[in-house]
Amino acid sequence: MDPIAAWLHEKNPGLDGPIAADEDLIEARLIDSMDFLEFIDLLEELSGSSIDLQEVTIDDFRTIGRVQERFLSAAT
Amino acid sequence: MSTPSTTVLPDGGLKSPGAGLITLDPVRTALLHGLDELLTGLAARLSAPEVVGPPLLSVEGLARLDFFRNFPHLGVSAGRFAPDALDGLAAGESPGELPLRPTGYLLPSATCYGLLLSLEGRDVGEGGLRLSAAGRCFRNETHYDGLRRLWGFHMREVLYLGTKQGSLEHLEQGAEFVRELAGRLGLELNRAVADDPFYDKGGSRARLMALDPVKHEFSAPDGTAIASVNRHRNFFGERLDIRAGSEGPAYSACVAFGVERWVHAMILAHGTPEQALDRLRDTR
Repeated sequence: MDPIAAWLHEKNPGLDGPIAADEDLIEARLIDSMDFLEFIDLLEELSGSSIDLQEVTIDDFRTIGRVQERFLSAAT
Repeated sequence: MSTPSTTVLPDGGLKSPGAGLITLDPVRTALLHGLDELLTGLAARLSAPEVVGPPLLSVEGLARLDFFRNFPHLGVSAGRFAPDALDGLAAGESPGELPLRPTGYLLPSATCYGLLLSLEGRDVGEGGLRLSAAGRCFRNETHYDGLRRLWGFHMREVLYLGTKQGSLEHLEQGAEFVRELAGRLGLELNRAVADDPFYDKGGSRARLMALDPVKHEFSAPDGTAIASVNRHRNFFGERLDIRAGSEGPAYSACVAFGVERWVHAMILAHGTPEQALDRLRDTR
């Protein structure tokens, strides 16, 4: 499984089936606010580069599609 | 012979019992009640029935809402003297030197917590639910400042639980009400993203909130926030298993008013408490 999807399923064990690429992870709280920095750590580990929170917006984290495009496209 | 007056306060007015604690004089009390009556207009407009929340909240319930992770410094605990202290107290020992035992309860720091905890396990349906309540709330602060920052104060809230869209509409209606009422009262308010007093300002929740503000405040020209609109996403719905019919965990949002701060803002805008009260009476 894709590591991001795996992380989201681990954090949301009640979740059934796959998460759509355009599902709003923030509003639905699939990324809980207490886990947000852990999610950033995961993205930094996967992309191999650090994320400056001054240079991003919440929309960069809103969907799996946007996360892939914004942080992981260079690494894939 | 004139009748002795029982309505005029003695020289020196009413004493404060301590830092952050104020006995409101008759004019400020009239302002508080008159403003609270106007603030209930939001509940009337949104058909939110008035309820009375519980006077104490269980620490177990608050822990489930991450209250202590976010605001461990704010909680004012309800303590009880230990049984072996009672004889000493009855014999005249100073209470300040005797141990208190925790009861497992805190005084409320916000009005909506008690309402939310009362809805645990309930289904509010897809149409959602609104409740209105006011109560005294208590927060430990590092400093106190007149009516702007009190140890205990009145907070009026209109809470919504239901759908994601419904919670956004609730906040829009709340913000519109605040703007209208401020205009009628001659108050100039600025809307801005709130700086919530998270204990861990570099923590995960505070960092996400900085990117995606879920709370906006309306502030008087001196920076005193007198109203706020807050969206909780589906946090309380999930933590307390409150459902909105087939929509799953309920989304929630609340509009909150710090009533003593409205009194402060009125005095700030109109010069004196008496002038503020005149303006309030003209408004009603």
